[in-house]
Amino acid sequence: MTTKYDLIIVGAGPAGLAAAIYAARARLRTLVLDESVAGGQVKTTHKVSNYPGFPEDIKGADLAKAFATQAERFGATIRRAIEITAHDFSGPVKTIELDEEEMVEAPAVIVATGARPRDLGIPGESKYKGRGISYCATCDGAYFDGKDIHVIGGGNSAVEESLFLTQFARSVTIIHQFDHFQAEAATTEEALKNTKIKVIWDSEPRAFIGEGGLQALSIENVKTHQKVELKTDGVFVFIGYVPRTDLVKGVVPLNKWGYVETGEDMSTPVPGLYVAGDLRSKSFRQITTAVADGTIAALAAQKYVKQAAKVVVAA
Amino acid sequence: MSEHVREITEAEFEREVLAAGQPVVLDFFSTECPPCEALAPKFEAVAEQFAGKARFLKVFRQGNRELATRLGVTGSPTLIFFGRDGQERGERLGGEEIKRTAIKAQVEALFT
Repeated sequence: MTTKYDLIIVGAGPAGLAAAIYAARARLRTLVLDESVAGGQVKTTHKVSNYPGFPEDIKGADLAKAFATQAERFGATIRRAIEITAHDFSGPVKTIELDEEEMVEAPAVIVATGARPRDLGIPGESKYKGRGISYCATCDGAYFDGKDIHVIGGGNSAVEESLFLTQFARSVTIIHQFDHFQAEAATTEEALKNTKIKVIWDSEPRAFIGEGGLQALSIENVKTHQKVELKTDGVFVFIGYVPRTDLVKGVVPLNKWGYVETGEDMSTPVPGLYVAGDLRSKSFRQITTAVADGTIAALAAQKYVKQAAKVVVAA
Repeated sequence: MSEHVREITEAEFEREVLAAGQPVVLDFFSTECPPCEALAPKFEAVAEQFAGKARFLKVFRQGNRELATRLGVTGSPTLIFFGRDGQERGERLGGEEIKRTAIKAQVEALFT
């Protein structure tokens, strides 16, 4: 038994949900699939300060829910905690198997699977994931009450989440590979003023060390090549993301960094297959740019679906 | 909570997990944890598949810190798998990327 839709969107982050809002309002039968709950990376961001329309900071989780609620209000179906176990996007009818037991299909698909946190790829990382190393400050921050913790990274996420972690931790030491942050100036200023935050510049982590649980972090100064071991109660890693292209690999062209090359209308060389959001090759990856991608993809897909329907009727 | 997944406290750990006499999957979860919310329906689905054969339990991390610390759990969600003998087996699963098929495969391995 296969359920038919006009448009299937894979990924319920800002790009996918913006696409769903536009598609559902265009009266396309729209299905959104996500292996987690809705929101993509936004849902684990403790606050969002730069999304227009919210003069006060909004919690990432609340913004994520608002996106989803809005899409559902117009009739989009959002399926959460779904695993895609097989798919074929190559033909005019795109099929997806869900949880090894259910089939859905549509003439058009928007892949908006975003990106996953980048691994450091250093010794001890897989051993201490969830045993001292965390990638989600809202999930785990509260357990570091009065502790001394470390944050790896220097972009917006790293610095923002460090500020959040100062609510709990006694000290937050940021390890950053350059001599300045890549985060927005406003965030950087706030962090550098915070007395709980220390920064170790020009340094990269080399290994996670411990017996049983994580106890220390080995870092190296990239200029002097001096190595030091830092005692730690926990490490949060925010060193950027890698695109989640598993579903489209081999079907659409990727650039040398692994991001998907699309047309300006988010189209790919495969008719009816669109790609929107962080997994696309582009200069800036923000919630606002993801939302823009999703909007464009939905409008382009809508045109395609109506065209495809006409061809079917004519034939 | 459903009929297939039950929440326990650290006081029940010994009896419900170590002395269960059947395979157990233990899920440490937190509030304000979207990956935990995402895991819940997958955990539920696998629990239903193994109903009567394996025990699927949840522990609220905030309320049971002593147990979490004892087991070295520092991230939510964390899934720990125990064999019939009460020994921890296989790999712990954590974070947002836990797949339903991965949980299922680990539970199946508990019967071998």
